[in-house]
Amino acid sequence: MITSIAWKNVWRNKTRSLTVIAAVTVGVFAGVFSMAAINSSIVQRIDAAVNEELSHIQVNNKEFRSSGDLKDYISDPATVISRLEQTEGVTDVTGRIIVRGMASTSAGSSAVEVMGINIEKELEMFTLSRRLIPGTGSYFDADTRLNSVFIGEKLARELNIIRYILTPEAFQKLTDEDVPETVTEKLREIEGERFSTEKTLTNALAGLLSPKEMKRYGLMIREAAWSYREGSKIILSFLDADNHQTGAAFRISGIYRTNNDLFEALSVFVPEAELRELTGLNEGQYHRIIARLGDNDLTGRVTPVIREALPGLEVLSWKEIQTDLAMITDYINQIYGIFMVIILAALAFGIVNTMLMSVLERTRELGMLSAIGMNRRRIFVMIMLESIFLSAVGGLAGMTVSAVVIGITGKTGINLVKYSEGMEAFGYSAHLYPTIGADFFIMLTVMIVITGILSAIYPARKALQLNPVEALRGE
Amino acid sequence: MKVVEINDVCKTYHDTEVEVKAVNGVTLSFERGDFAVIVGPSGSGKTTLLNLIGGLDQPTAGEIIVAGHRLSELKPSELIDFRMEHVGFVFQSYNLIPVLTAAENVEFIMNLQRWPKEKRKARTDEMLQSVGLSDRHSSRPSQLSGGQQQRVAVARALAPRPEFILADEPTANLDSKSAESLLDIMEKLNREEQMTFIFSTHDVRVMKRARRVITLEDGKVVSDIRTNHNS
Repeated sequence: MITSIAWKNVWRNKTRSLTVIAAVTVGVFAGVFSMAAINSSIVQRIDAAVNEELSHIQVNNKEFRSSGDLKDYISDPATVISRLEQTEGVTDVTGRIIVRGMASTSAGSSAVEVMGINIEKELEMFTLSRRLIPGTGSYFDADTRLNSVFIGEKLARELNIIRYILTPEAFQKLTDEDVPETVTEKLREIEGERFSTEKTLTNALAGLLSPKEMKRYGLMIREAAWSYREGSKIILSFLDADNHQTGAAFRISGIYRTNNDLFEALSVFVPEAELRELTGLNEGQYHRIIARLGDNDLTGRVTPVIREALPGLEVLSWKEIQTDLAMITDYINQIYGIFMVIILAALAFGIVNTMLMSVLERTRELGMLSAIGMNRRRIFVMIMLESIFLSAVGGLAGMTVSAVVIGITGKTGINLVKYSEGMEAFGYSAHLYPTIGADFFIMLTVMIVITGILSAIYPARKALQLNPVEALRGE
Repeated sequence: MKVVEINDVCKTYHDTEVEVKAVNGVTLSFERGDFAVIVGPSGSGKTTLLNLIGGLDQPTAGEIIVAGHRLSELKPSELIDFRMEHVGFVFQSYNLIPVLTAAENVEFIMNLQRWPKEKRKARTDEMLQSVGLSDRHSSRPSQLSGGQQQRVAVARALAPRPEFILADEPTANLDSKSAESLLDIMEKLNREEQMTFIFSTHDVRVMKRARRVITLEDGKVVSDIRTNHNS
């Protein structure tokens, strides 16, 4: 009965209640959605780190990471591989030869880390092959495998393999896409000029076109000007096992694009056999052995098991390699919590205010209830329930709106291309696909109910201070 | 059988610098089935006396015994339970719970007393019929006239069968037709259920119906007359 009265009381002043509910809804939505967006960028970053860059666990010779010396390979790789394969939770294992060297073309050179990989195994364990930029070749297709290399877009730009040039073909493409002549005429000034980055081209365009034209045709022009020299070759040079300078020309098999500029600039992949031949490393020798787990959540449990099984080797989980990311992952729930507490605290003041108004308006009625025998506990519970209902309705509405919006934007994505340069420098994608776990919604529900309870305490205490005699005297 | 015993009760207020003796040495008792009015000019202590009898306020001196309970010995929380169990209130401004229907209002105290549902429903139907509102079960107070609301209030007060009903100026806000009809109902219930009614009023119509008229002046009983009329 008290529950029913409390529920009905919430709807006595519909405008006021709906205003508070709307405020709670908007607050909860703002909180949940922004967290889903932050979460998505972290989830995507972890996904990229685990699936494209690091996998779950890496085993190295203890010296290798600091020395980078070709001779610091794992001495008994077969045992390591079999130990890893026998470890519960491990689904795949592969080895890599890693050589530090230089990649160069006639236009420039850059320090790189050359990974000699088992292509079939890597295809099973990593998703980097899906990051191939269309039109730049393939991920080591069988016919292009010999002497070929898979490199990142950032490196390709630095080596001037990818650049922006407004060629006659580019102008034709723009005309085909109905870019008006007035615009293309202005572009003639930079015809044939090479721009190494999108930014330098954009700056040049900004000097030629009006802001309106930039907005309308900027993307089209950049796409038309993007150019890749097919079949380009790069020279990879490094020291072999005997410390002699060695190297070879590699044909670019394909170019990948990730959200991590550093990874793109540094990591180049070649078939393992090619690198063995050049470095003189024997069959079966590896610098790094990588294990993939069935579930990312197993990382924390499996890493120490492997570490114990492989004394004398450096065993690292992705969390230990990417400490910043691990820290964010570990603290994200606390960050969520603090964020929500701030939002809910603000809402609590709104609820307190509304409930206080509602109590003070009902002085006579509450006095009458006490007069006819409704005890203090029941009155307290009634006011508490009113406040909880108010916040819960708003909270549920907010969570429903959030779930719908997150559901939609989780599919369509949010494009923050304006900030892509900054975000990608840190390895974060500028395309966000908001996502948030069900556990967060449960936590939020609990927090909303707690907010409702806390916000009701003061108004409810106020209600208890009312004297029933006043109700009669007030007649 | 005595329902209420009031022995030399005083209530003094110190609200202002002047000490006000709202009730000053009242000794009275009410029998089961009384239909009594307390009359007197404004400020004579009618409402204060009613509040004391109903356990809404505690006397400064003297004692009030209702159904064997010495009210001065009860703690505030026990007083609330005492009111719920033993006293039925009818207020001047009806004071129904606006979000509940007529039937739910009548059920309210029985609900607090945890009556079984079926018993509660049956008693509600009976009471609404007694006050002539059996067709207004589902009406909210805002959909009822003043007279109808006061009848619901009477039904609410009587439903849980309290020891007595305290009605503070129950007809003050009603037109004469509604007032007469309400008094008819109260008289009928007084007869049928042997319910004790104690009114405070200025209303001559109520005084005319009463079988006992107690007059207060300056907090003292100046007359206590039993009129033997039966309506």
